Amino acid sequence: MTGSDHSRTIAARAAAIAEQLHHECSILLEIYRKKESFTVDVADSRLVSVPPPSSQLNTRDKLRHLHSALLQCRSLLDRAIAKEEEELGGEKKGEYENQRKMVKERLSLLLDNTGELFKAADCTEMLTPSLELDGPSIVFELKLWVYRIFKEVDHWTKTTITTLQDTPLVITKGPARTAMSVRSTRSTRR
Amino acid sequence: MPHLCVSLSSKPLWLVCTLLGLSAVHTHANIVLTVPQQVSLSANMGTQQLSISWLGGAATTFDLIILRTEFNETVCYDTVFATVNQVSGRHQWNWTSVEPLECTSLSIKLRSRDGHTTSAWSNTEILQGRDLPSNKDFQMYPQDRIVPAGANNSFCCIVEEGKGFDRIRYSMTVMNVTRLSRRSYATSVVSQGPSGRTGTNVFCYANQMMELTGAVIFVGYPPLPSHFVCETHDLVSAVCQWNEGRDTHLYGKRGTRYSVNNRHCTQDISQEKPKECSVAQWEGNWTLVAVNPLGQYSLTDSAELSHRVCPVPPVNLSSVVHAWNATVLWKWNYSSYSSLDLICQVELTTRENKTKRVFFGMGLQSVVLSDLQPNEDYSIQVRCGAQKNFWKWGNWSKPVSFKTNTDAPDAPDVWMWMNKDKTGQVIWKPLTRRQSRGQIKAYEVTLWNPEENLQHTEILSADTHAVLVNLTQMASFSSDSKVIATVIAKNIKGTSQPASVGLRLTVVDPRAVSRIVYTEKGFPLFWQSNVNTTCSYVVQWHDASCTHDCPVEWIKVAAGNTNVSIESVNFQPGVRYIFSLYSCPSDSPELLQHWQGYTRELVPSRSVPLWSSQHASDIVLTWGEIPLPDRRGFLLGYNVYMSNGSQLTLLANMSDLGTRNYIVKGFPMGSYKFTVKAYTSAGEDTGTTASIMLEPYTDWLILEILASLGIIASLLIIVTFICYKKRKWVKKAFYPDIPEPKLPSDWSRTQGPLDVKPSPHSMVHIVEKPDWDCSKEALVVIPEEDEDDDGQGIGDEPVDTDEPTSLRYYNQVVDERPIRPRFPDSSASSASSLDSAHTDVTYTGIQTSGSSLVFQVDPQGQQPQADHSFSCGEGGGGGYRPQMQPRAPNEDMGLASLEPFLEPQAASAGGYKPQSSWHLDSPMEAGERGSLAPSLGSPTSVASTQFLLPDGEEHEEEKRQLSSSAATWFTNLLSSTKP
Repeated sequence: MTGSDHSRTIAARAAAIAEQLHHECSILLEIYRKKESFTVDVADSRLVSVPPPSSQLNTRDKLRHLHSALLQCRSLLDRAIAKEEEELGGEKKGEYENQRKMVKERLSLLLDNTGELFKAADCTEMLTPSLELDGPSIVFELKLWVYRIFKEVDHWTKTTITTLQDTPLVITKGPARTAMSVRSTRSTRR
Repeated sequence: MPHLCVSLSSKPLWLVCTLLGLSAVHTHANIVLTVPQQVSLSANMGTQQLSISWLGGAATTFDLIILRTEFNETVCYDTVFATVNQVSGRHQWNWTSVEPLECTSLSIKLRSRDGHTTSAWSNTEILQGRDLPSNKDFQMYPQDRIVPAGANNSFCCIVEEGKGFDRIRYSMTVMNVTRLSRRSYATSVVSQGPSGRTGTNVFCYANQMMELTGAVIFVGYPPLPSHFVCETHDLVSAVCQWNEGRDTHLYGKRGTRYSVNNRHCTQDISQEKPKECSVAQWEGNWTLVAVNPLGQYSLTDSAELSHRVCPVPPVNLSSVVHAWNATVLWKWNYSSYSSLDLICQVELTTRENKTKRVFFGMGLQSVVLSDLQPNEDYSIQVRCGAQKNFWKWGNWSKPVSFKTNTDAPDAPDVWMWMNKDKTGQVIWKPLTRRQSRGQIKAYEVTLWNPEENLQHTEILSADTHAVLVNLTQMASFSSDSKVIATVIAKNIKGTSQPASVGLRLTVVDPRAVSRIVYTEKGFPLFWQSNVNTTCSYVVQWHDASCTHDCPVEWIKVAAGNTNVSIESVNFQPGVRYIFSLYSCPSDSPELLQHWQGYTRELVPSRSVPLWSSQHASDIVLTWGEIPLPDRRGFLLGYNVYMSNGSQLTLLANMSDLGTRNYIVKGFPMGSYKFTVKAYTSAGEDTGTTASIMLEPYTDWLILEILASLGIIASLLIIVTFICYKKRKWVKKAFYPDIPEPKLPSDWSRTQGPLDVKPSPHSMVHIVEKPDWDCSKEALVVIPEEDEDDDGQGIGDEPVDTDEPTSLRYYNQVVDERPIRPRFPDSSASSASSLDSAHTDVTYTGIQTSGSSLVFQVDPQGQQPQADHSFSCGEGGGGGYRPQMQPRAPNEDMGLASLEPFLEPQAASAGGYKPQSSWHLDSPMEAGERGSLAPSLGSPTSVASTQFLLPDGEEHEEEKRQLSSSAATWFTNLLSSTKP
């Protein structure tokens, strides 16, 4: 298998995982809305900080930003789960807890794949997420925070799907120029 | 309107009033009221409690007023009794606010009171709320409050500066709100129910629901654990357990904390109830304290160690296995158990059941399990307890499985079925896995006739459970001969004991078969005990509709029993089963009793075959039997209905099963439908319908006709008889004898024509002279003298002539036959008379004596001459013509025609002929006859009543022949009267 084929395979797998994660995240949000009686959507506020997407970004930068955002999402999600357990306790076999666990594991799997893709694209510079991970101490604020984290995961999952579909990496019918283009871009920048 | 305050002095109002009154009475004169100074506020936001302290001099009673600063609304106005703190010298009073203290700013002031005397108000102290303009945030209070279920609670929402308030929602319920200040809105919830795991959310929406803030309140219960008890597993430490009790609805940080003897018990969320906490040493007394934010609860327990021994489960179980027993061994985790008297339970689980066995012993580590089944899978678990001061069973060990060894199989359960033709089958039940004690390899079946010492053995495969037998080859069928079948099962370990059954050589028909009713426990069968026999019994049952090689089931009943309940998974509703009781099944089975019954009766599945017939004016319905398999119940009778469209009218209920016909009487003529339905206890079948058209009774009509015909025939016979008896009279009356002509001389027998000139007086009286019309047959008067002329005599003569024609007679009588009478019904005449009836001609011709001589024409062809052809014009003019054939004679004419030869001439001339035939057997005869009538042409007048017949009757030759036959017979009859 050539490098480009490998990249395409990873990208396709990552896109499939992202699709699945997006579906599971939607379910989690629905469960949470129902559990906490959130009848209207909580106003969005970004918790994940990455540079705004731009058409000027090359594929490698897009991947770097995406991977960084997903890393932040996982950190936030881990913290949210821990904070929830600590503050509110947890039902071992509850529907919400199961779905939350599923999303967390799927997000880790997606990160593994995007990381692999990141390596395949010869990206070495990682964006270090800078996050406020403490979370609110007031329970209501904590709930809103957790909800926003779930929405962030959902948002960046959708972004991952879009990015992987839009970038040449996942053009399965195309020649093996995707990986080549990534490499050429890198070499150009060097 | 001022609100009454709720003070924490917690003294009843009447007590305050009393104290105020007393103090007013006793101190009025002594106390100088001072204005309260240095008013100080201390707020506890969590409890919503405001502590107010001040320097109030000697006064003990104060008026207090609390206002919402912004709207200057009174929240509390009260007279309070405040004691002096001996340390600080300040008066203090606590007040609990309904709303959270953060909701809005409160202004507090007070004054001293002594009876009705009061001081001036103190300076106003303000407790600042969170709705100050400097705090512009969107907020809600209280946050994360924990309250007991059923409590009331108030929430307030402070909207962001410049934003509009929208609503407050408690979980899913939109609440009524009270405005406390410009930005603050409050709502109250009463009797709150317990919240969920993450509390109850209270939402505050602003700016038309575009912005949201909120709070969470946790509503729950204080802890209430139960069943606190401590025990030891290792005979050293203590393990205490309890139940959490009711759900406190508080979790996580707010969940219940437990401690035993002041040692905190770590909480494991994965641990299911009951909760458990270990104490390293046995202390004998333990106290459990359960605490949560809403309260705490304590439980205690105390016991000696030897009374609370709960052994741990045995480990490392193993087994030593045999066919019928096994030894199970195990180990203990604690060596201290070696000196402990133990009671152990061993649970044996097989595929079919589960049993427990109990064993005792000090430090028990092995047991022997006896009475096991060979070739059986067992699963074993062990648990133990202290034999002395038994406290409870320890937990079950992990299961261990083994399989016992194989052994020789059990003897099969054998029975037989015999047909009436000395054939049958030996049947045995498949051995169960337990009975097989290993895989069955084969069955050995032996038929043995002890008297004749005949033996026949057959080896059958393991899946065979029946073998056909034919006893005609085995026994001589003497009364005492018998054949015994023996079946042996074989497996790898050996052979079973032989199982025998005696085969009946004579099949005994069932005697009285009694009915039996199925119950919940099956078919209950009872029989009389036979004290003389010690044999066991077999009850056999099968489908009653089966007669040959039936699939039979059976059960063996031990000797001495007189009843059994038969149940089978194969029983089907609507099937009749016959149960037979046999004694001594293994040697010489004897049929003792029969029963029959249904597990459940159904309606017949097939209807009766039905026929209908009419007998006289009645309708007879006849129906047949329903085959036994289709009855599906005991038939109770038949219902006869008259079918009128979809409606059935019951005509009769036939409860006598032997009667299968019914007579319907009194119905008028018409079409009817009848339905017959057989019924069982389950109901009627669908019925069979027969139609019948009730018609007039035709038998009577036929009888009437036959009777009439008989009467007519009788009359005819009588008349004939009378005629016969009176034939002389009849002849005389109707056929008088014509006098014989007297012959003056001897008419020689010489043959030859004798020409006779007829008398000119022979005349024919013409009544009517019809014109000749070709379209219709002419009426022709035939001259008298022409009657006897045959064709040959006149062939050359002009037909229509006034001249008397010479008659040619033959003086030879050829035909000696008697003279035939003229009979009106003779064939020719009768046939001719049909047309003659159209005439008004009276024939008064002269009949000569020779006219009756001949009745038939000689078939040898004395045919009319072919040249007697006449046209219509010829011979016309109404002249008289002799009777002649109207057409040219042909060859056919000679066959049957009885017409005179002259008829052609008559026809051509429109002539007539007399009804009586003037037939001549031949022209020669005619001539001869003419010779016999010397008076022919003489004026002998005979009045003839015969009609003159038109010609053309030759088309009715057959009829004439028949008529001529009848005439011949009648002529003969009459002629027989001649002497």
